[in-house]
Amino acid sequence: FQDQAEQFFRSGHTNNWAVLVCTSRFWFNYRHVANTLSIYRSVKRLGIADSHIVLMLADDMACNPRNPKPATVFSHKNMELNVYGDDVEVDYRSYEVTVENFLRVLTGRIPPSTPRSKRLLSDDRSNILIYMTGHGGNGFLKFQDSEEITNVELADAFEQMWQKRRYNELLFIIDTCQGASMYERFYSPNIMALASSQVGEDSLSHQPDLGIGVHLMDRYTFYVLEFLEEIHPASQTNMNDLFQVCPKSLCVSTPGHRTDLFQRDPQNVLITDFFGSVRKVEITTETISLDSDLADFESKFPKDELATEPLKYAEQLPVAQIIHQKPKQKEWHPPGGFILGLWALIIMVFFKTYGIKHMKHVF
Amino acid sequence: VVEGLALLDLGVSPYSGAVFHETPLIIYLFHFLIEYAELVFMITDVLTAVALYLAIQDFNKVVFKKQKLLIELDKYAADVAELIQTPMEMHYIPLKVALFYLLNPYTVMSCVAKSTCAINNTVIAFFILATIKGSAFLSAVFLALATYQSLYPLTLFAPALLYLLQRQFIPIKLKSKSFWLYTMQYAALYLCSLVVIICLSFFLLNSWDFIPSVYGFILSVPDLTPNIGLFWYFFAEMFEHFSLFFVCVFQINVFFYTIPLAIKLKEHPVFFMFVQIAIISIFKSYPTVGDVALYMAFLPVWSHLYRFLRNIFILSCVLIVCSLLFPVLWHLWIYAGSANSNFYYAITLTFNIGQILLVSDYFYAFLRREYYLTHGLHLTRQDGTEAMLVLK
Repeated sequence: FQDQAEQFFRSGHTNNWAVLVCTSRFWFNYRHVANTLSIYRSVKRLGIADSHIVLMLADDMACNPRNPKPATVFSHKNMELNVYGDDVEVDYRSYEVTVENFLRVLTGRIPPSTPRSKRLLSDDRSNILIYMTGHGGNGFLKFQDSEEITNVELADAFEQMWQKRRYNELLFIIDTCQGASMYERFYSPNIMALASSQVGEDSLSHQPDLGIGVHLMDRYTFYVLEFLEEIHPASQTNMNDLFQVCPKSLCVSTPGHRTDLFQRDPQNVLITDFFGSVRKVEITTETISLDSDLADFESKFPKDELATEPLKYAEQLPVAQIIHQKPKQKEWHPPGGFILGLWALIIMVFFKTYGIKHMKHVF
Repeated sequence: VVEGLALLDLGVSPYSGAVFHETPLIIYLFHFLIEYAELVFMITDVLTAVALYLAIQDFNKVVFKKQKLLIELDKYAADVAELIQTPMEMHYIPLKVALFYLLNPYTVMSCVAKSTCAINNTVIAFFILATIKGSAFLSAVFLALATYQSLYPLTLFAPALLYLLQRQFIPIKLKSKSFWLYTMQYAALYLCSLVVIICLSFFLLNSWDFIPSVYGFILSVPDLTPNIGLFWYFFAEMFEHFSLFFVCVFQINVFFYTIPLAIKLKEHPVFFMFVQIAIISIFKSYPTVGDVALYMAFLPVWSHLYRFLRNIFILSCVLIVCSLLFPVLWHLWIYAGSANSNFYYAITLTFNIGQILLVSDYFYAFLRREYYLTHGLHLTRQDGTEAMLVLK
């Protein structure tokens, strides 16, 4: 039990956030929206709620007039997986996805009229996943075909977040051409970064779909999605597996990663530390003495040795009450005078029609 | 009805919401029977069929007797032997009427939908049974019930009165004292039962709320949910300034045909009743297919008119096609969004035109047969060539 209890406190985070950004507009950049929505889907599936996800999509592919299957965004050819379900919540859409808005979201310098769904309300115990995709180059990422964000700006934004205690640990994933250039300049602690290609390499798209007419996904994110589909909230897969997810044979480019700023060993970092929002709850009847790290906590609360009765699951539900539920009592009843009057009338009509002689048979 | 009962359980008048527009007697009926609603509607359909069966059985006897009387009085022309109805062919008519009602897809649909139109139909069927049996008291009571439920059976007062007068052998002359006496008696019975029923429903809820909700609703047509009738589209596009005027015009349209038909069909009140029921079900403010089913049940009674019907093939095709297109265009309009209300309204119009043509075709055929009966089958003009009858 000691070891298992210690495992509770392996990672220092208490909540998870995700900032998922797609920076490209226009129908032929369908794959970038599909990339972002795939990560959104995985992150949501593993437990992060929409209130903790800031989803920025620069264009609307699902309702694009060129979409032959409206209200869908597919990630596999042959339309196997519709990542645009019916509960997608896009926070920044279309022309709201700008460099300024992205940096304001990260640093928290947001005008007071911004709704909560558009804010990154993280604290110093938050693990944040930041995923960006679009068109990029050596040291920059293109937003909306009109502006760029540089790797220096991004590194400074992360430093501002660290100074303002806005994250506990940060995982930065980028799927663009020459993506590794974007994480070269980071200098804040507790950041782990992954990119789909090295400087000088292009990230390639995966497969076109002849029915829709565009490429559906990029290779790196496609294999990341495949990898993430195997993950469930209780899985113990660690970051080393994520680093190996797309070898050169599949991705054609060489994915890179950077872990030097990260304090824990990637081996001990669970995928669900960043991609999911896992609450660890285990009911036990024994008392556990915790490690010396938490001795000061322990000293505040005396050890209580009360023996609690083991509760059965069924006792939590009022099954007996549900089974033997009586039908609802109706509260309104017709007034007595009405019933009397009505039946008196009916009997009068009956006797008037059929004659008094039947009365002696009835009574 | 469920909404009304739920509101009652909460202690509020059921007419305070804008959903419940049924009469208090329906509240009383369903207060005890709401759990068995399907059974109730099946039983009402069966009762309607039984009532129609017995009514038409009696009616056939009356028709046959009258025919015999007219033959003996030599009122018929010489060569109309093939037009006379024989007992052989009239034997199965009551059964056909009952089957026409029960097996009509419209009846089945309104039973499945648990529409209170089925109860309306039952009351009208019992009214017809009481009238044909000759009991003025019972027919007044049932007519009062039918009028109390939905306002339009008021127009059935005239054919019932004509039938009862005929049965009592009172000639229908405006100067005749016995005519007025009987009319006054029947009207008094009818009005008294109506007043008694309305006062009784006052005592159910201790309020007069139900009068604007039930009768005000039928007359002023506030709810424009699309149905198979003609009111909703017209009033949806109407300016408010004119809506009162057009509501009056449309409502008068229902009641208007009673007097001319009474004058023309005073010898044949049951046919008049059929035409009147058809007119009610076409022109009422919220028609349903259950109303259509009721007058269609009467068609076998006049199956001997078949040789005179001119448009029956086209009409049956129109009615069947329109019934099939109703749900299609509804789906296209409301769910798929690729049609608009004009499509559905067109089908409504066509359906009602089909119904009107059906009624007028039967009317024409009936009058033509009557004319042939008194004037002979082979009509010749003054110069000896063959003549054609035209309904002007």
